[in-house]
Amino acid sequence: MLEIDNLVAGYGSIQILNGASLKVGRGQIVALLGGNGTGKSTLLKAISGLIRPRSGSIAFAGERVDGLRPDRIVRRGLVQVTQGKEAFPAMTVEENLRLGAYVVGDRSNRAANMERVYGYFPVLKQKRSQLSATLSGGQLQMLCIGRGLMSNPTMIMLDEPSAALAPQVVLDIFRTINRICRDGMTVLMVEQNVRMALLLAHYGYVIKDGIIHIEGTAAELMHDDNVRLSYLGGTVANREAQL
Amino acid sequence: MDYVIDLLIIGLSVGMVYALVALGISLIYSGLDIVHFAHGEIYMLGAFIGLMLFQHLALPYVPTLVLAIVLTGLLGVLIERLFYRRLTRAGGGYTVAGMGMIIAGFGMSIVLQNIAFLVWGAKPLPFPVPFGRPLEIGNLTLPMSYAWIVAAAVVLMLGLNLILKKTMLGLAMRAVAYNKDIAYLSGVNVPLMISVIFGIGCALGAAAGVLIGPINYVQVQMGVAVLIKAFAAAVVGGFGSLPGAIVGGLLVGVVESLGAGLVSGTYKDVYAFILLILVLMLKPSGMLGVEAKMKA
Repeated sequence: MLEIDNLVAGYGSIQILNGASLKVGRGQIVALLGGNGTGKSTLLKAISGLIRPRSGSIAFAGERVDGLRPDRIVRRGLVQVTQGKEAFPAMTVEENLRLGAYVVGDRSNRAANMERVYGYFPVLKQKRSQLSATLSGGQLQMLCIGRGLMSNPTMIMLDEPSAALAPQVVLDIFRTINRICRDGMTVLMVEQNVRMALLLAHYGYVIKDGIIHIEGTAAELMHDDNVRLSYLGGTVANREAQL
Repeated sequence: MDYVIDLLIIGLSVGMVYALVALGISLIYSGLDIVHFAHGEIYMLGAFIGLMLFQHLALPYVPTLVLAIVLTGLLGVLIERLFYRRLTRAGGGYTVAGMGMIIAGFGMSIVLQNIAFLVWGAKPLPFPVPFGRPLEIGNLTLPMSYAWIVAAAVVLMLGLNLILKKTMLGLAMRAVAYNKDIAYLSGVNVPLMISVIFGIGCALGAAAGVLIGPINYVQVQMGVAVLIKAFAAAVVGGFGSLPGAIVGGLLVGVVESLGAGLVSGTYKDVYAFILLILVLMLKPSGMLGVEAKMKA
């Protein structure tokens, strides 16, 4: 579905991605893990077109998309939900969602997409006519994911959907992401919450210093000593003791 | 008393003109994050284009107004694409290029004034529109030209509000105004939308120019004073706020008219600035001032 080869990108004179390569298969949930400042968000921005890659290639559904404008990439069916729950506070919940369907020409298709999103996040339907500024953190995250789904994409990229949310809310959102995937969506997810991400994902990549450091199925990563040591907390020994 | 009501009517109609120009300035500011200092010249060009359509093509007033609005809007799009776009792109994308943009605006203002001077000369030209007899309400007489200003401005403002609130285009414009990255990721063609916002801003300025034409003469320098008044109006109302631009424009118009009529006509241009200073002292964010990033 998505194939990234040797991607180099950055901001101004700072290079952040130093040749990252990864693949996301159709219908998979793939987790992209790593510490702060390792290039996770930069990678997503390069894929969605917000920053232009300096070299390397990005292919989506068999076609090169690197260098395209972000709205063109959305039209191809690849959508990014940014970090930080960025909604439009002066717009209502419904207006936020309608904006997400900007590339959908037909009014009845837009309405159908909205019903689908309300199906995943019923709370948004209750709050449809409220300004999004009045939503809680969890509801905002749902709104942002919902807005991403409104264009009816085939693949969605989520940048830290669990950030700054209560554990119960995270669980809720992850369950819904799982449901969305089972309904046929491909998901690439950046996460700091490694344990949760690996529970959900089929495959994972660990990025470090702008290149892919470790990769494997979720089960392999769970049992990888490096991953456990660095991202799952504690030493290998006391981790064994806990189990 | 009738005299005061007359002054209020004049103030409100001239205020509508300021409001339209201020609305354009605020719209461009909210969408492009630039303060467009050549907006007075857009207003002036709108008036000249209107006058040409009216005199040489002998169009009636309403088609003149509509066509001048459309043509000047397209001219604005051209100016944005050819000149400002390069600067904003150099500023790391599509926003703030800082001082460069402000200087470019002033430069554009000088260039446009001189182009107008070469084409139409320095002499003020009359814009004689046969509006017919003044409206008589009780013992008040209201010249039709003023009624036209108020009616046309209200229609334009309602139209803008309708576009912004009810259409996908308006939704996209508001999105671009608030956050260009998120607008992009929602599938909005941001560069195109920036042109649209700039074009609509210029169209509103042109409307003001065509509306004021029949009351004042049309001349090359007419944009200078209006820019400053509209600027004052935008600040009084709250910079970047669209309802604020309208309230500010009307307030500046009324204060100016009452000041000139009741205190002294010599200081006509001073009253707007007294108002501006008072607002800046008492409520610096303006009357309907919004938080910096709440403008969507």
